[in-house]
Amino acid sequence: MLRRQWKRITIIVMFVFLALLSLEIGPLSDVSLSSFIYGDEVARLVFLHSRVPRTAAVILSAASLSVAGLLMQSISRNKFMSPTTAGTTDAAAFGLLISFIFLGHRSGVVQASFAFAFALLATMLFTSVINKLKIREVVYIPLIGMMYGGLIGAISAAVAFRFEAMQVMQAFNLGSFARLGNFTLVYIVLIPLFFSVLFATKFSIIGLGQDFAKNLGVNYNRVVFLGLIIVALISASTFVAVGPLPFIGLIIPNMATSFYGDNLKKSIFDLMIFGANFVLLCDIVSRLVIFPFEMNVSVTISVVGGIVFMIYLIRGMHSGKNRKAAA
Amino acid sequence: MIEVRSVSQSYSRDKEILKEVDLVVREREITALVGANGAGKSTLLGVMTNLLPAKKGVVMLDGVDIRKIKTNEVAKKIAFLKQTQQLSIRITVKDLVEFGRFPHCGGRLRDEDREKVEEAIYYMKLEDLQESYLDEISGGQRQRAFIAMILAQDTPYIFLDEPLNNLDIKYSVEMMKIVTKLVEDLGKTIVVVLHDINFAAAYASHIVAMKDGQVIKEGSPKEVITPSVLNPVFDHDFHIVDHDGRSVCLYYDHE
Repeated sequence: MLRRQWKRITIIVMFVFLALLSLEIGPLSDVSLSSFIYGDEVARLVFLHSRVPRTAAVILSAASLSVAGLLMQSISRNKFMSPTTAGTTDAAAFGLLISFIFLGHRSGVVQASFAFAFALLATMLFTSVINKLKIREVVYIPLIGMMYGGLIGAISAAVAFRFEAMQVMQAFNLGSFARLGNFTLVYIVLIPLFFSVLFATKFSIIGLGQDFAKNLGVNYNRVVFLGLIIVALISASTFVAVGPLPFIGLIIPNMATSFYGDNLKKSIFDLMIFGANFVLLCDIVSRLVIFPFEMNVSVTISVVGGIVFMIYLIRGMHSGKNRKAAA
Repeated sequence: MIEVRSVSQSYSRDKEILKEVDLVVREREITALVGANGAGKSTLLGVMTNLLPAKKGVVMLDGVDIRKIKTNEVAKKIAFLKQTQQLSIRITVKDLVEFGRFPHCGGRLRDEDREKVEEAIYYMKLEDLQESYLDEISGGQRQRAFIAMILAQDTPYIFLDEPLNNLDIKYSVEMMKIVTKLVEDLGKTIVVVLHDINFAAAYASHIVAMKDGQVIKEGSPKEVITPSVLNPVFDHDFHIVDHDGRSVCLYYDHE
């Protein structure tokens, strides 16, 4: 118990430090936290309209994508599932493109609704097909999922090419916290996050299987559906607000699991902070490497996340082999 | 009381898994279901717990059709444990036992729920392991943790589907001793599917022998453990020896 408290305190201290650092960095070097506190007018404007929303967007999108990943893993009973490896993110992009082509520039809410509907449908299709296929090797599922995502991406590209919207698509397929304007959309994730906390125990119980859930009187199908809605809502709103943040939903739950376990009711808070810390760090790095310019945060996340994903994938293949040898 | 009344179950039209099964579960006893693979034991267990709602016939729980009772209410009366669970999420022993209280409190533990959890952990001697993760303990310990969860669920009826699978002899005997204690100390009613006929003979007070979806014979071990019953049920020659008043099956071929 005591160890758990210490682990929690450690990441909270890290979180406060990273959040403050994130607020401190910006191209206007004379604007800093201290000038803000001393009531400087320029600093006030910069903080109110740029730095605070940006840091909030980082924290909220990272925290919610971490939760979305864990929910997907619980639903599919597969540690390699996530919005990136089930076509969810690609479908959200497709939805956004369709809304752009047919409705033109619309408010973020309209765009997010399209992204949400596409993401939900694509994820439901993928999970139901995967359940029917009964694939033994868990590592194949994310690989199939990434191909499925690639397929959706290819269809999007074809549609975009046909409607001369390639540039738009390329723009929103780059995850970045530097796009002002749409940030307010990210606050939508507070709703699915609230429901994740509310139904945390149910989500953990379905992670132990359909029969197990039924034994405890949990309506399995209803909880799965609710979970998929939460995942799609989080993926869609973060996608429209900041673009794709690849691997977050995959690697953060896997890393956090070894520290905090998967009992969502106990670990959801730690999971969110953990995810926020990771993306805050990636975002700070992206902003500093070519200062005063910045790199897209999805590049940094892809580099770090890709490596971590590979490690887990190789480990997963090994444990799969060991299990076969034992059986 | 659980009564199975002429239940039939089929997955496709021509293949019937259960045929007109009638059974009354004996209260405060261990009933063992035995039979060859595909005899319908697990399906019968599924129907009795409403995991597979009966297609024909009816299962009555305390005089009410079990299909008409809310799943949450069924979960307060019947606990069901399938063959040793494959785990895909990482939770501690205590987390698991707390899940057992879900039908009663919906995930928000009250003081009485915490008491039940502690009692269950204490009863299964898991105090030292309660903060350990399930993937870090032995198979026997994990099985004990699942039984503790079922105890916390606090149901009069407990159904176990091959609880001895993947357990070595020491843990299998330990598990059956625990099951016996649950009946003697806590007055539980237990129905268990067992693969090993000798475990059924040694620990069950009532044995139900099944073949091709039908109950061939039910009765005390003395009545069921005989070559005339078992030979057709398992399609094999049995030799029964008496050891201190207990029947033991020898089913190895001797020339």
